[in-house]
Amino acid sequence: MLARSFLTLALLTAGPSLAQTAAPAIPGSAAAAVSDIYRSVVRIEAAVQIPDYSTPWNSGRFTGGIGTGFLIGKNQFLTNAHVVSNASRLLITVHGSPRKHPARVKFIAHDCDLALLEVDDFSDFESFPVFTFGDVPQLESQVRVIGYPIGGERLSVTRGVVSRIDFSAYSHSRIDSHLIIQIDAAINPGNSGGPVIQDGKVVGVAFQGLRQADNTGYIIPTPVVRRFLKDIDDGQYDHYVDLGVSTFPLFNPAMRRALKLPDDGVGVLVTNVTPTGASDDILKPGDVLMSIDGHAIDSAGQILLDGEKVDLNEVVERKFAGDTVALRWLSAGTWNDRDVALKTLPPSRMYAIQYEKKPRYTVFAGLVFQPLDTNLFATIKLDDVNVRRLYSDFVPKGIFTEREDIVLLTRVESDPVNSQLAGFTGLAVDKINGTLVKSLKHAHELLNPATPPDFFVIELFGAARPVIIAGNAVAAANERVSKTYDIQKLSNLEE
Amino acid sequence: MRPLLIFPFLILSACERHEAVVATQPPTEPAPAATAPTPDPGATLASVIRISTTQQAWNEGQPWEKQPPGKRRSLGAIVAPGQVLTTAEMAANATYIELESPDGKQFAPAKVIAVDFEANLALLGLESESDAKFFEGTKPLEMAAPPKLGDTLDIVQVEENGTPLVTPGSLLSVDVVSNFLPGQFFLTYEVKASMQSAANSFSLPVLHEGKLAGLLTSYDAKDQISDVTATDLVARFIKEASDGEYAGFPSLGISITRTDDSNFRAWLKLSEDDGGLYVSSVKAGGAAEKAGLKKGDVILAIDGQQIDRLGYFEDAHYGRLYWSHLVRGAKSAGDTVKLDLLREGQPTTIEAVLDRRDEQDQLVPAYTFGKAPSYLVKGGLIFQELTRPLLEAFGDEWSSRAPLNLLDVYENPQKYESRGRRIVFLAGVIATPATVGYEPLRNLIVTKVNGQDVKDMKSLIDAFAQPGVDGMDQIEFDEEKFSVHLDEAASDAVDAQLKQRGLSRLSRAEN
Repeated sequence: MLARSFLTLALLTAGPSLAQTAAPAIPGSAAAAVSDIYRSVVRIEAAVQIPDYSTPWNSGRFTGGIGTGFLIGKNQFLTNAHVVSNASRLLITVHGSPRKHPARVKFIAHDCDLALLEVDDFSDFESFPVFTFGDVPQLESQVRVIGYPIGGERLSVTRGVVSRIDFSAYSHSRIDSHLIIQIDAAINPGNSGGPVIQDGKVVGVAFQGLRQADNTGYIIPTPVVRRFLKDIDDGQYDHYVDLGVSTFPLFNPAMRRALKLPDDGVGVLVTNVTPTGASDDILKPGDVLMSIDGHAIDSAGQILLDGEKVDLNEVVERKFAGDTVALRWLSAGTWNDRDVALKTLPPSRMYAIQYEKKPRYTVFAGLVFQPLDTNLFATIKLDDVNVRRLYSDFVPKGIFTEREDIVLLTRVESDPVNSQLAGFTGLAVDKINGTLVKSLKHAHELLNPATPPDFFVIELFGAARPVIIAGNAVAAANERVSKTYDIQKLSNLEE
Repeated sequence: MRPLLIFPFLILSACERHEAVVATQPPTEPAPAATAPTPDPGATLASVIRISTTQQAWNEGQPWEKQPPGKRRSLGAIVAPGQVLTTAEMAANATYIELESPDGKQFAPAKVIAVDFEANLALLGLESESDAKFFEGTKPLEMAAPPKLGDTLDIVQVEENGTPLVTPGSLLSVDVVSNFLPGQFFLTYEVKASMQSAANSFSLPVLHEGKLAGLLTSYDAKDQISDVTATDLVARFIKEASDGEYAGFPSLGISITRTDDSNFRAWLKLSEDDGGLYVSSVKAGGAAEKAGLKKGDVILAIDGQQIDRLGYFEDAHYGRLYWSHLVRGAKSAGDTVKLDLLREGQPTTIEAVLDRRDEQDQLVPAYTFGKAPSYLVKGGLIFQELTRPLLEAFGDEWSSRAPLNLLDVYENPQKYESRGRRIVFLAGVIATPATVGYEPLRNLIVTKVNGQDVKDMKSLIDAFAQPGVDGMDQIEFDEEKFSVHLDEAASDAVDAQLKQRGLSRLSRAEN
């Protein structure tokens, strides 16, 4: 996996004391020399608060960064989700003006790294031109990237050519892949969220780079942007939908013979169907997918769309919850045709970095329990085999149908009642007093019954013995732990 | 969990595996003994033998070939006419073992009479009767009585030029630790002595009052502490090995955890006076299971020796020792141990007949010295049996780097034991015409081939011998709901090509 870096320039803002350095106004002649539309490319200053998943009761880290945005309609500024994620304050400034306009996030889509902002008072922007969107640019055609990258205060313009059009990973969420365009223009931290222009129209949004390679910038192409804008038409963002199938290529002649398929390069093997997903109870492992919405699927799982070979999921990508796709497949020699209603798969967010969420936790006699997710995985070292299996099997094996959360014992805040329990951190909870733990909330309820039992018996996956806490010692321990470790709230069960 | 003292060993083995360089050091006077009289260094020469061994392990990633060989040396103790004691490390993956008289005049090829990799002991003898004169003029060492704390032990070395070098050291402590293989705990002396490297080896005889008291297995130059295999173990090993039918040290087949947590003790209804070991798991088919020991039982005493809450008992000779010595060390296979238990709050007693846990009977063997890995190359698909050395081939961080499904088998073998003798998995794919499109397949546990259950490599090979009527093989995997197919004719053609490309053989199924 290539490590893609965010382009946001993380500037440590030293609080409100930071002087608002008034940049001198650009002389009219100079501004006129560049395109008038550049006025509508704005600088976004974000103050962010990054939640602390290792001590979830703490406030987290205050930091900040600079990104770019651009005007696409009345009081609609488009930028990257990662520019404004976890933002506590957003300020927009325009080219050549010292004024900072307070702004807020109207819609944010972490799965495709896009966000739409609005300012409190749009009157200063009324006369600004508005960007319009073009199509996917041709390979080798030239584009311009406009933004506020590091290396200066003012607007920067760079040029490059379209090097590659691909279906690839969006690093903001770590899990999502969509259409992506690689260009060779210098895109630097601060460029994020800026428009990429060809023939006066926006053909993409600059969003990520490649750390170990020069002259590789990545932009979000307009099909992805248009999908985002259409999704939020109804006033909320609904996320991408998912077909919920895994496939295996069918190149191998023996494989094709065994499945009684002609050697024509058509068809891809279904290897897994996500429980509760769109294709659950429709497709099954061993089926051979032949076409999607009339596009023949080749043996690598690709289809021909608008003259380009793309992953079959590209069809699904462009649809919304409730839309259908027409699938044709072979199941044990029988042809099947069916329109499959697409839906989102919320449990798959287990594998995505989450933003704008307050970490959930509950503290019980100094034992800290947290739900397993990718944020936690990225924060603390989790190397227990059982925990890693629960994580990787959570969606593919449908563990989420039994357990909404995988609850982990993440910390032991030292206290006389738990002094021998430090070795149990990093393990997943199976049962509490004999009851299977379904979620953090469930664990919290089981640990805080109306009348405490003689003993709380907490069974952990892979532990040499159960963790035992005497029921009558919990109240005093909670009080001590809360005071000693300055934990104001012993639990937060809502994100 | 007890700390493993493997760090010093690792350092030493790294030094020892290098080829011996020609000694240029001048002979050094033996350090004068502080308290006890040192044995006459010259006399010890008649009781020790230099051993050099060539070792060559199999290449776990390409199991049809071996890794480059290495050499290693030690000083062995003559314990009976024609029998030499050394560490099992010397016999591990040995391709050629040679005995050499300390004066460097005589050489003779050796064979392994008995080896215990877990206790790190090996008994060697002459490969050929015709070399019998090699031992002429030698004097076997007698076994010493077990030393006591504070006693002076003499570590015997021989320099390259044949000069004996005896270093006295004080027996600092006695503990039950692992010194060669992780998780194998045996009674070990810690001896404080300042030693120099002589003939590049720290596998050395240790004497007490001129008699054999143990074998030095590692030396930590920084702390000047040596690990010495205890007299009790050496004596038992030699006694059981000398008849050629070595049974090995027995085990109970349990894993335990201590009971020092007061909440845990209250829940278990353990009294303040009791100690206790909590039984975390009982191995299927082991001595403990056969005797009726259950997960959740608390062992209060073994053979009448009270076990404290940290797992120690009071040994009459050595003082506080870890409980496992009462089973592995103090007993032989076939012996009985009496276990006083607390089961669901009620005292009870059971007797277990100890047996030897043969590593080759484990689902995932922890070591495979001298055993060639079992594998099958079929049309470019590489199948292997899961072993710990194979997992270790994923690098130093193997316990987090190795594939999760394979680690799960290693960590939780009880989940997989009903499937067969070994776990067979598709380790990878050699790109061949028969494996087009199969390149992404790797580290998948094989459950069935051609409809037959795969229980080990032999059953996999047998199953492939019976392809379907259409001349196709069908391979099914654990956790994957699709099967992979191989055309027998295409795979045979590919196999012939692979042999031409230098794969010496395409399969091996060892028991």
